[in-house]
Amino acid sequence: MMRHILCVALMLCVLPAQAFNLGKELEKQLGGDKPAGGLSLGGYSQEEEIAIGRQIAGNILGAAPLAKDDKLQQYVNRVGRWVASQSERPDLPWHFGVIDTNDINAFAAPGGYVFVTKGLYRQLNSEAELAGVLGHEIGHVIRKHHLKILQKSQLIELGGKLLSKQAGDNANVQKLIGTGAEISARALDKDAEFEADRIAVVLAGRAGYDPFGLPSVLQDIAQVSKDEGSVALLFKTHPHPNDRLDQLGQAIGDRLDRVKGKDLEKRLYRIK
Amino acid sequence: MRARHWIVLLAGGWFAAGAWATEAGTALKADELKAAPFRDAKTVARLASGDKLDILKQQGGWYQVKSAKGSGWVHMLSVRRGEARKGSPVAGLAGLAAGRAGTGKVVATTGVRGLNEEDLKSAKFDEAELKKMEANTVSKDEARKFAAQAQLKAIKLDYLPKPEGGGK
Repeated sequence: MMRHILCVALMLCVLPAQAFNLGKELEKQLGGDKPAGGLSLGGYSQEEEIAIGRQIAGNILGAAPLAKDDKLQQYVNRVGRWVASQSERPDLPWHFGVIDTNDINAFAAPGGYVFVTKGLYRQLNSEAELAGVLGHEIGHVIRKHHLKILQKSQLIELGGKLLSKQAGDNANVQKLIGTGAEISARALDKDAEFEADRIAVVLAGRAGYDPFGLPSVLQDIAQVSKDEGSVALLFKTHPHPNDRLDQLGQAIGDRLDRVKGKDLEKRLYRIK
Repeated sequence: MRARHWIVLLAGGWFAAGAWATEAGTALKADELKAAPFRDAKTVARLASGDKLDILKQQGGWYQVKSAKGSGWVHMLSVRRGEARKGSPVAGLAGLAAGRAGTGKVVATTGVRGLNEEDLKSAKFDEAELKKMEANTVSKDEARKFAAQAQLKAIKLDYLPKPEGGGK
């Protein structure tokens, strides 16, 4: 009986969530506060979450491979893991990668996979800015923003099938996530982006960085013309940087005035 | 002689540290212009929404600016960058690039492979690259040591509440 009600509730949730208080309530319950490994309300276990993320990550890498610079990849993993360590999911197997494309963008996949494009990396001026960018993607992971999309679009409980094959190309997971890495080309709702921005400044601040790294990057990206091909996908899938800055400004107010973090401009690894 | 040498070095350092050539901006909202980049600093003037500014440099969440009302520091999130003045030799991102040594902010992508929706949709799973990425993973301990090398200290900081009314 209970299950039946939940099922109906989930179906309602497929409609724009903002339109219903019920949708909002459900979103809260679907949130990232559940204990890791727990299954509830059609949610995924941590193992399943990682299996889904792994499939998406492998597809993203199929679209753009890692930049061939081991020092860069190591550096980004160190910064990223330190920032992720300040989150409520420090023990996910976090993986970070810079992918070889001049597009300006960053991606996250469930379970702790985070990508920054070389085009975006080149825009950065300090380690604090990198921390901010990674913090935004870490925010998507810890609040399970992509999983929520999958949960809303897929009412079928795949359950144990997801894990039938742990490594390699997983056909069951692929069925769930659609074609290739199309989920990474889809827009999350604006609130999810604004939430990830708020998380980013806080995680960077907690990690000892100047929390204004992400806003600085957004200020830079706001200067890039909408017609510029390198930001086409970013602008299509995210609110305009000026709107994000506006939202961040309202959320921050004077709350971060006492935070004196480091920029670490000199430690930023520069791509040759 | 020696002093001159130092000045050159300092100037170089200043550019490398992310400062830029003057860029135009506009005050997004009424805010105080401060004598130094922190909230408790003396108020030099009050900016009104729409006031034109010249942004001289950035320090943390603050811009050092020049305006008709005076010079000082204003919070970054109270300013919208851009709208370069006419006749200004440097403007926008190109201007920033000119002031930032070594970053080579070339954003034109003509003829270079991008990453669009179609690329992502048609992407095929790449196990080899994924394994490489997973092999680069760093432990929490390693990350902590890396942070300590730069004297990064973790602090307590609450998450920010969603702004009331969701903005505009």
